[in-house]
Amino acid sequence: MSGMHRRVFLKGGAVALLALGAPPSFLARAAMAASPLGGSSGRRKTVVFVFQRGAVDGLNMVIPFGDAEYYDARRSIAVEPPRRGDVERAIDLDGFFGLHPALSPLHELYGRGEMSIVHACGSPHPTRSHFDAQDFMETATPGDKATRDGWLNRLLAATDPHACGCDHGHGGAPTSGAGDGRTLDDAAAHASDHAVGQSALAGGGDGGQLLSPLRGVALSAEMPRALRGRYETVAIPDLAEFGVAGGRDESLEGAFDRLYRTKDTPAGSMDLLTDAAEGSFDAIELIERTDPLSYAPRAGVQYPGTDFGRSLLQIAQLIKADAGVEVAFADIGGWDTHVGQGGASGQLANRFTELGRGLRAFCDDLGDRMEDVLVVSMSEFGRTVRENGSGGTDHGHGNCMMVLGGAAAGGQVLGRWPGLEREQLYEGRDLAITTDFRDVFAEVALRHLGADALEANQMESIFPGFAVNPARFVGALR
Amino acid sequence: MLQRTLAAAPQLAVALLGLGLLDAVGSAPPDRGLAKKGPHARKVVAAAVVDESAVVPAAGTTDTLAARHLLSRGTFGVTGDDLEHVLDIGIDAWLREQLEPEGFDDEEMAARLARYPAAGMEQDELYERFPPPQVLQRQLRRMGGDRDSVGFDQEAIQTLRLELGVQPPGRILFDLAGAKLQRAVYSERQLEEVMTDFWFNHFNVFFGKAADRWLVGEYEREAIRPHVFGRFEDMLVATARHPAMLFYLDNWTNVAPDSLRTEDANFERLRAMPADRRRRFLERRGVSAEQIEQIQVVMERRRNMQQGINENYARELLELHTLGVDGGYDQDDVIEVARVFTGWGITRPGRGETGPIRFSYQSRLHDPTDKQVLGETVRGSDGMGGMKEGLDVLARLAVHPSTARHLATKLAVAFVADRPPEGLVEELESVFLETGGDLRAMTFALFSSPHFYDPALYGAKLKTPFELVASALRVSDATVMPSRPLFETLNEMGELPYAAQPPTGYPDEGEDWSNSGSLLQRVNFAIALAAGQIRGVRVPDPDDPSTVVARVLPGADVTALAPAIADELQASGTPPREYGRRTLGLALGSPEFQTR
Repeated sequence: MSGMHRRVFLKGGAVALLALGAPPSFLARAAMAASPLGGSSGRRKTVVFVFQRGAVDGLNMVIPFGDAEYYDARRSIAVEPPRRGDVERAIDLDGFFGLHPALSPLHELYGRGEMSIVHACGSPHPTRSHFDAQDFMETATPGDKATRDGWLNRLLAATDPHACGCDHGHGGAPTSGAGDGRTLDDAAAHASDHAVGQSALAGGGDGGQLLSPLRGVALSAEMPRALRGRYETVAIPDLAEFGVAGGRDESLEGAFDRLYRTKDTPAGSMDLLTDAAEGSFDAIELIERTDPLSYAPRAGVQYPGTDFGRSLLQIAQLIKADAGVEVAFADIGGWDTHVGQGGASGQLANRFTELGRGLRAFCDDLGDRMEDVLVVSMSEFGRTVRENGSGGTDHGHGNCMMVLGGAAAGGQVLGRWPGLEREQLYEGRDLAITTDFRDVFAEVALRHLGADALEANQMESIFPGFAVNPARFVGALR
Repeated sequence: MLQRTLAAAPQLAVALLGLGLLDAVGSAPPDRGLAKKGPHARKVVAAAVVDESAVVPAAGTTDTLAARHLLSRGTFGVTGDDLEHVLDIGIDAWLREQLEPEGFDDEEMAARLARYPAAGMEQDELYERFPPPQVLQRQLRRMGGDRDSVGFDQEAIQTLRLELGVQPPGRILFDLAGAKLQRAVYSERQLEEVMTDFWFNHFNVFFGKAADRWLVGEYEREAIRPHVFGRFEDMLVATARHPAMLFYLDNWTNVAPDSLRTEDANFERLRAMPADRRRRFLERRGVSAEQIEQIQVVMERRRNMQQGINENYARELLELHTLGVDGGYDQDDVIEVARVFTGWGITRPGRGETGPIRFSYQSRLHDPTDKQVLGETVRGSDGMGGMKEGLDVLARLAVHPSTARHLATKLAVAFVADRPPEGLVEELESVFLETGGDLRAMTFALFSSPHFYDPALYGAKLKTPFELVASALRVSDATVMPSRPLFETLNEMGELPYAAQPPTGYPDEGEDWSNSGSLLQRVNFAIALAAGQIRGVRVPDPDDPSTVVARVLPGADVTALAPAIADELQASGTPPREYGRRTLGLALGSPEFQTR
């Protein structure tokens, strides 16, 4: 119920504030208000998660050229060890690992200390099913398919004082999913109590605690599992067209707003719809006010002309417009290279080219703002150490993640390397895992998004069944 | 958007063309013996249908909401005419009618489908009219173009297409999706359409994966549609043998390790090298540039051919097609099943040819040793007997209790509720097991179960984007002509037919389709459709605005919605001449119309 509650609060709040003579631009100011996720700095922090769907071959993304087994196992698809001046070989990172040559745009970031890599990292669950493994990573509950909501949804809920921090006991833990049986009317009444109580703060320009409806956004038509759940998050396929009738008909917008909001008998699919509607109309209003499309990429910055490139460009626009984005999500697919993946060049290299150029463009575009922005890459599992008969690799286990941004403890490949000898491999065939992906997620949540201020039971709600322990963090962040 | 989808397709199997490199190709066994349709199976269906009929309200006693509920799940959208028909003959008779789709005259539909010719073409004709770019490139070379050019000159290819009167292969999707939409909107065989959609999605293949462009239409026509009211095993075998599936899940590259190894050690050494290392190796030995080029081409092609196990099909066969992810198999079973299916491949036309691609069992590439599948030994054999291993495994999987459970759950989720009643799942499970996987019996059981008619579940499913579009076209008396914008809309909403890349197909649950962005797209589609702004779709101006809401939602309770919409029109100062279209747009975009 928490998501619905917060939405109603926002709208109820708007009405209450207007009644009190507060300026109508309160939503925009809500967006710019300091975030509870800002930690002690008070500055809003943002994390952009990039999901490489299809299981990227991490051993060819960040190549363990110092491990001779790598070359034995991959006779036709290995990337050769670095050699000065040879651009078709791995790019040396630390004398043992090398970056795939098609990721060269990222090498400078690594050199500047703005990119760290966690290798031999992933999910402890043995599944080699894309769909299960993606779900497990996005719910952060490996092995538990009953989890309905994404971990980022729970993180946003846990850090929203209106969703969880109030003392009326209005909703269960955000993970409960089932709600508490409270009707919309109850929630609305409850919410307007809050609105009245908070109005002086908000109207007085004291920052208040109003949060942006765009705290959690996915730049895609489909909402990724990681952001799905009771807390309202927004999927935006295209910023320019985000509105009723493309934003050209206000009376229609109002009409639909009312048709959806007056549904007073939420049942089955209907509550999914009313939640989605409230999220939409608040987000439309905020985007109108902050006008992210007026922010063009910095001179000389060129995003790839692909879905991924467009997603990153629009995330950058939202950040520059101060629209209140705290968690953003972008997908990049095409990693399931069972056949003919190639080595230094070829199919997989082409995917790396898009990835590398896109991430570099994003970092260059945001410039100094990267101090407060972190980019984290992930993929559901790695691929077999040994190449298959088709010049490709099959579904494997351990993989690697990249962390980019001013807060990254850059210039290092982190995590313990388990080795590639047969007896060192997971089930005798795949890279073993020495870092649980949840330890990386938890480090990001605690160190960057300020979740360290949460109480233990709230951390437990974000990572159910997983005891977060900073002693296990690999130190991907400064 | 459409182009983007197509451009994103993996360029995996250019290798399909000009492949005549395999040493020997076994011939496919005759179809005889595979289809086990007999009088026995037929009798079981009849028995199940008759036995279950008692739970269904008899003709004349059907209440409107139950009839509406049935149509909202068993068709692509409730229309007033269909509702009247069900109320007239009763739910049971309607189901029987729909379960014997041959009873409906198909002539009108055939005339409609003629506007989407590629959807009905055989492979030969498709290759002729939508030739692969590689074929055109070869033609350009023959015509004296730049012999050394390796890449495609898009402009030259496009010019040649115009000269030859042919079209790019991506255009086939336009006809496939168009034909599917015609059927969904206009066919009287609604239940067959709905179930074809379900089972295609269950055995999903992706149009965008290279050679599948020329295969997807035939796949639906031959491997899915004929079996939706038949035996599950027949559909399973038909999909396993169809080149669209063999290609999509890579089983055509799944061969016994080392079965392609030659005796020539130098050849093997060269083949094992990465292309760039091989090039330098040859250069150091003074091989001419032209020869190196030739060797590289041959070697790369060699390398793209198989020398080992590929697990992809085996894994999805167990996880998605039959047992389900919790169906009690492990990674060893996946590998063993992959070994069972070694040699299940496709015929590959010779270099420069584009003949049809067919199933071909290649016994030389089959692993003839014994396998252990789900705790039982599969006796390995060579020669043509090796193919029987696969058929036996499919037969076992087709009637496995885990398969029954998996399919029952999936049907219940797709057609009843995201969290379906356990009693319904159990009921479907036992019908499946008792009838040996008879899908007609199972479909009947699904739509006649008392669990299905629990009023708490009426309207509980969120329409998928395709269901929304089809149902909106059905209730708005739309005339649908070939329309690119319509497919762009479907693509943006995330459900362009035949374009689901993952083997899971499109999701069945509401949570996957509801979020702020997609809600806006739904509303925007409704507005554009009602306003007549979608090119290729004609929607008549409703002449009596006061009846529009009831026409959009026949049989539903619209006592709240109709006045709410009327109020909105008044408040916004809409001129009365726009009342009809405006009402239609608001009704089609209303929360009530998004559910079924």
